[in-house]
Amino acid sequence: MNIVTLNSLSKTYPGGKKAVDSLNINLEKGEVFGFLGPNGAGKTTTVKLLNGMLSPTEGSCRIFGIDPTIAPEKLHALVGVVTEHAQMYQNLTGIQNLVFYGSVFGLSTKESEKRGLDLLERLELSDARDKKLSSYSTGMRQRLSLARSLIHRPQILFLDEPTSGLDPESAQNVHTMIRNLAKDHGITVFLCTHQLRYAQEICTRYGLMENGRLIAEGTFHNLRSSVYPGMKIKLKAQGVPSDLPCRKIGNLAYEVEIESEKDIPQIVRKIVEAGGEIYHVSAELPTLEDIYFTLTRKKEGSI
Amino acid sequence: MKSQMFAIIKKDLQGITTNKRMFSTLLAVPLVLSVFIPTVFILVLHFAPDESVNLQKLLEMLPINELEEDLSLSIIGLVLNYILPIFFLIIPIMAATVMSATSFVGEKEKQTLETLLYSPLSLKEIFRSKVLASFLLSMFVSAISFVAMLLVVEAETKLTTGGFILPDMKWALILILVSPAISLIAITLIVRGSAKAQSVEDAQQRAVFLLLPVLLLLVSQFTGVLFVNVWILLALGIVCALLALWLLRKSMDDFQYEVLLK
Ligand SMILES: Nc1ncnc2c1ncn2[C@@H]1O[C@H](COP(=O)(O)OP(=O)(O)OP(=O)(O)O)[C@@H](O)[C@H]1O
Ligand SMILES: [Mg+2]
Repeated sequence: MNIVTLNSLSKTYPGGKKAVDSLNINLEKGEVFGFLGPNGAGKTTTVKLLNGMLSPTEGSCRIFGIDPTIAPEKLHALVGVVTEHAQMYQNLTGIQNLVFYGSVFGLSTKESEKRGLDLLERLELSDARDKKLSSYSTGMRQRLSLARSLIHRPQILFLDEPTSGLDPESAQNVHTMIRNLAKDHGITVFLCTHQLRYAQEICTRYGLMENGRLIAEGTFHNLRSSVYPGMKIKLKAQGVPSDLPCRKIGNLAYEVEIESEKDIPQIVRKIVEAGGEIYHVSAELPTLEDIYFTLTRKKEGSI
Repeated sequence: MKSQMFAIIKKDLQGITTNKRMFSTLLAVPLVLSVFIPTVFILVLHFAPDESVNLQKLLEMLPINELEEDLSLSIIGLVLNYILPIFFLIIPIMAATVMSATSFVGEKEKQTLETLLYSPLSLKEIFRSKVLASFLLSMFVSAISFVAMLLVVEAETKLTTGGFILPDMKWALILILVSPAISLIAITLIVRGSAKAQSVEDAQQRAVFLLLPVLLLLVSQFTGVLFVNVWILLALGIVCALLALWLLRKSMDDFQYEVLLK
């Protein structure tokens, strides 16, 4: 069953900027959807459209069958949202903020406090729970926002750069948490991020945006095979026979384009049989980053 | 009304009462109006030589039935029942203006509005919570001022004239109906203005422009109404209350998140 459906969703801002252009995306339960793209691609705009903060100029979207332009308050009970502009109260402490948002979602003070303390613990903010938000650092605020978005145990999370401004350790921690929420609790996650290395670790599917358009979509495997049909291996060897399709890239270093892993033993055998010596063989799989750059560049080149 | 709305009301009220400086200013002005002004009046009356003003004549011109034996007492009664009630139309509105003018735009400036909009409350419910928070504050300030005024006026009357004068029926009507209704109208309009404003200053200016003519009208016309009779006052109160409820229902019909966040 599709939990999120975007149907030629488009948004043109009053100034005339077409920020989102005919998006069609479907998300299923428990997916972690990595929504990628350069600055100004339209990611935040999409998140706001999906939560009813903006009204689409064309097309529509449904989340749990709810149209956010019609019943946003019903939708909000089911979703947790973190965006850059959704801040909390400076004059309240960490836990006071969480208790407030908990009660706005209809939880009792006691229950909000219990959940709040638990979330603070998981996000390593326990020491700062009684400090005013005004004394929080950027990364601490960011983590408190994530705690806030989880207080009512939403079924879907919209996270717009939830780890920008976090140190590597906290970012790792937050990503692990997001992955576990999806895996163990079946929460669907819509994650906008620029941190491709982490995205590659936790996302089950990706959408790549550029200039408001979705230029590629699919699992890591889909994307990779569409961009790099084959793979590369790197070799460090002496006495490589010249009939092998190796490209010399340095002293004793070679690069070979192959179709799949199955080709590796054959190449190794050929070198050994020809009396060569192998010091190192590694398969070079393109990372999400490689794919991202290839896709965004390809697009630029074709325009 | 949803219980979640109380969370917003509580948060807004705490926000204003924990800001000590703001809250003391908020209380100071009403107290000056309701305590200081009557005091000055009673003292002047007490120390001024009787002959300097022809009070008797003045009183006879007014439609008051039973004159007290003590002239000063009659005058104090006049002030208490015909002049001071006007303050209680102004005080609650003044007390609520700052809070209601910042209600939406204040959250917008602190970037907490979007977070609030992600709540399971509709825009209308958030709007009503904001209005109600300001309204409760205004009624609280108004009640405190009334008690303070009554205590001071009674004590001073006792000291200067030895007599004793009670507020009449109209007071009850004003405190329970007319003043809350007029405050609610003003607050609803100011909160609505706050939702449209781009900055806190902008919202406060809007509020002042909205209120000045209203306050002038109240001050200039209301004494007349007080002299007429209780029924007219009651009718006026009911009309204002209905208008307030209508405004509260209708406001925000034309609002969307997008407009609010702009
Ligand atoms: N309120 C607005 N009015 C007009 N144009 C806007 C508005 N908000 C965003 N835009 C424009 O819409 C486009 C998409 O912006 P958006 O914020 O969705 O990008 P993004 O993908 O989130 O970028 P980033 O990675 O920098 O967060 C940009 O060109 C931006 O200038
Ligand atoms: Mg963005």
